[in-house]
Amino acid sequence: MSSKYEPPTGGHKGPLPTSAPLPPLRGAQQVVSEETANPTNENQPFEERLEEALRDENMRRALERFAPSWRTSRRDVFASEEADYGPDYSFAHMRSALRKSKDYAIEHQAELIAQFKAQAEAAGAIIYEAHTAEDANRYIYELCQRKGIDLVVKSKTMVSEETELNRYLEARGIKPVETDLGEWVAQLAHERPSHMVMPIIHKTRQQVGALLTEALGREISRENVAEQVAVIRVEHRKSFLNAGMGISGANALIAESGTVMMLTNEGNGRLVTSLPPVHVVMAGYDKLIGTFAEAMTQLRLLARSATAQQITSYTTFITGPATPGKEMHIVLVDNGRSEMRADPRFKEALRCIRCAACANICPPYQQVGGHVFGYIYSGAIGLVVTPFHHGIEAGAGPQSLCVSCNACETVCPVEIPLPNLILDVRSRVVEAKGLPWLKKVIFGVMARPRLFNLAVRFFSLAQLPLSRGSHYISTRSIGILGRLPGVRPIAKLARWRSLPTFATKPLRDRVKGQLSPSSRSTTSQAGTERPGPPRHQQGMSLHFAWPRPAPSPPSRLTVCYFAGCMIDRLYPEMGEAAIKVLRACGVQVTFPRKQNCCGLIALNSGDRADCVTMARQTITVLEQALEESKADYIIGATTSCVVTLTQDYIRLFEDLQQPEWLRRAQALAEKVMDFASFVDHVLLANGMKLPVRKSDGDDVIVTYHDSCQSINCLGLRSEARHIIQDVLGLELREMPQSDVCCGFGGSTSIEHGDVSERIMNNKLNNAESTGATVLVTDNPGCLMHLRGGVDASGRKMRVLHLAQLIAEQLE
Amino acid sequence: MAHSTPMNLFTRFQERLSSAGGESHQVGGLAEAVDIIAAHPALSAGEIVVPPNFAQHQQWGAILPLLESKGITIRQAGEPASVADAPAGLSGAELAIAETGSVLLAENSLEARVVTMLTLTHFVLVSERKLVPMLDDAADLLQQFARVGPDQRHYMSLVTGPSRTADIERTLTIGVQGPKTLCVIIISDQQEAKA
Repeated sequence: MSSKYEPPTGGHKGPLPTSAPLPPLRGAQQVVSEETANPTNENQPFEERLEEALRDENMRRALERFAPSWRTSRRDVFASEEADYGPDYSFAHMRSALRKSKDYAIEHQAELIAQFKAQAEAAGAIIYEAHTAEDANRYIYELCQRKGIDLVVKSKTMVSEETELNRYLEARGIKPVETDLGEWVAQLAHERPSHMVMPIIHKTRQQVGALLTEALGREISRENVAEQVAVIRVEHRKSFLNAGMGISGANALIAESGTVMMLTNEGNGRLVTSLPPVHVVMAGYDKLIGTFAEAMTQLRLLARSATAQQITSYTTFITGPATPGKEMHIVLVDNGRSEMRADPRFKEALRCIRCAACANICPPYQQVGGHVFGYIYSGAIGLVVTPFHHGIEAGAGPQSLCVSCNACETVCPVEIPLPNLILDVRSRVVEAKGLPWLKKVIFGVMARPRLFNLAVRFFSLAQLPLSRGSHYISTRSIGILGRLPGVRPIAKLARWRSLPTFATKPLRDRVKGQLSPSSRSTTSQAGTERPGPPRHQQGMSLHFAWPRPAPSPPSRLTVCYFAGCMIDRLYPEMGEAAIKVLRACGVQVTFPRKQNCCGLIALNSGDRADCVTMARQTITVLEQALEESKADYIIGATTSCVVTLTQDYIRLFEDLQQPEWLRRAQALAEKVMDFASFVDHVLLANGMKLPVRKSDGDDVIVTYHDSCQSINCLGLRSEARHIIQDVLGLELREMPQSDVCCGFGGSTSIEHGDVSERIMNNKLNNAESTGATVLVTDNPGCLMHLRGGVDASGRKMRVLHLAQLIAEQLE
Repeated sequence: MAHSTPMNLFTRFQERLSSAGGESHQVGGLAEAVDIIAAHPALSAGEIVVPPNFAQHQQWGAILPLLESKGITIRQAGEPASVADAPAGLSGAELAIAETGSVLLAENSLEARVVTMLTLTHFVLVSERKLVPMLDDAADLLQQFARVGPDQRHYMSLVTGPSRTADIERTLTIGVQGPKTLCVIIISDQQEAKA
């Protein structure tokens, strides 16, 4: 904070200061390098911003308090609407309706724009179409200049943040005043909003009090929020009455009538748009929607998703200037939107209604806040749109924080496939900047099955000095070797999470001779009447459940077991347990020996090339295995890999426009099922009994962690709980936030260890708070992460795969 | 869109508006409305601001002599600055929506609008037959009002409770920039005629 806030004086002054020429704003490099009188946080390099955010305890506490309460109130407000008004008003139904409306508007943009323009112009509004941020800013500046305006009041507009309008106007002697309380405080602090709906969620009342005190030059309470809020009424009244121009955003542009819809809670939006003689609306083309009826659905979803309100306090509809002498200008901003619209994937991001639900639910966002998790737009959508509005460089750092937990997609009110789009951004970053050398080597090796096999066997021996034969490479086992330069990075990684060791004998070796590698003794009529897993590609992953009935008695089923690298190489005992459970139910299990990594790890790192190689290998190997074994299903006890096999491959080959591989991926997906679903929906649902021993009173108290891929991508929730409680008869104690990510997120846990560690500690604390003795989940990534955390922190809990828990309880 | 109505419309309206921090009353006629307004703490100074030409308002104009008979001074709104932080303002709404507890204001005149934006307590009169169940029911009227023509309503707002913010530490604070109190009075039809 440097300059003082000066109370506004007169409205229209004489000659304006000569305008400082500024370079066009588009393109990250200019934004980052541009030094101005009003620096904002993104001028700092990403790493620095991240460091700062990680030190900000206040922010983290605020965000961590907010998240669970938002989740609960949001869920309740949607549930009560559905309970009162029926399924047409469920979240699922409404968001699918709004998605259709927005998709229509995106597809028919030209037509809707023409309609909007015709109606708005007939009502007296003036429309300007701005191709770039610079165009939009210049238009507004020139309008001020023409009218001799030097004081502008603003109500919240994210587009003006996007175009950096305030900076543009300030550099040219025009004073913009943000009138939304949070935006104003951010403006006083020379910051940007860290959240699209709650701009200063990262600030404490003490910080706000100090900022107001400094800006106004008189003492404002550091503790009394009501007093702080009262200040804004007095201060801004003067601005409202003196300003020559009011600038607002738009939540929707209603084409049928040329109407601007705008939502606020404070009431500043109505003042900004009513009191000054000139009203300028800034809106992206993405705000178009066809009709009032559709706008009502948006209204419902927006308020409920953003703040769990039924509706905001003020919802305003403006159609042209309302009084004689009033001017209304509507600046339609493109600034990268056409490019998004031309991209078959990214055009889906244009549906966004800026509710910030994707930030509210995001675990890494809660750790670092919106100045880091995003650029000017924060949250998951910020990671997606930043490259289009501000360049790939601006998006490179923030996107690396995504843990691919997929939670954002479950709450998005317009069904934007955010996690996939973030991975698409990641792969563009990799294309632009290249893969870090270590990843390049690792993925290169993993894509070559024989080399990978050799490498793992080599490391299973090479790790011995660090693991000393234990199951972990931990601070204890490393001992003083941690001081060696080559070992130091490993020691650092193991400090908070002991690392797993490679099994000396991988699963593929352990099952040798026990399972038929391919052929099958009993013939199966599989294929025709067997119900396949759902076609995920058709819609949202949340809406499906695996099919219940199995065509033949479960005792005659044959399955191919797909291990996944983690189970195969690190945790063969989990695979053995899964196979033991399946066989105990009379299922014949085969193990295709040529199976290799599915490619998920490369995909998650933005390395599409290696992922494609591994995808093709995997499809070929599994097709062959199915052919030879006539298996009914391919079962994986790794839900992450199951998601890759059933969803990611399809998207990948769609993108690459390889119809033959796409067809093969789709056919394969029909056969793949995760372990918990198979046990619950195929075996147990068809009357198969697990031979469970009578509980002998041993103190097995279970708490269950819903892995992100299981709950957010496969829609699993009841399966494991049913097995644990009803079938095994064990006590299950639900932990708080069981469905929140554990922080693993693939290589994110290595690149951003601090963030990952904090999320993990929340998870372990929640698990521990139940008093459970066993923490169970069904995804080895989480298991590796949580086990390592338990080991490093000396906690007492056992961490088991669901299959291991079941296997332990078998007779 | 088909929908079920979960409960009495006014009960739902009141419940929803109250959760947004607003007051509401259902009365049999203008006289009762006047009783509520006159007894309200906002009227302690004995003055209420109304939009220009409110006296000629077909439906609500008749309330002004009734208020005056209670010793209340009626002030017609003028320049925005003159209305700023006036203790009480009165206006009429076109619609009330039970689902959200909202009222629809649709005034082109700036003077009429500032009564609803700048006063400390805003009283809104709305006819009971204009109380509809859902937002969807409001869409048709909004569309009709927004249509180009001499009767076009350029500026419409769904108002749901007083002005509020939770920007600082998510502490809910009422009355940031707009009215601190919103009081909706729903007046039933038969009585309207009598009054």
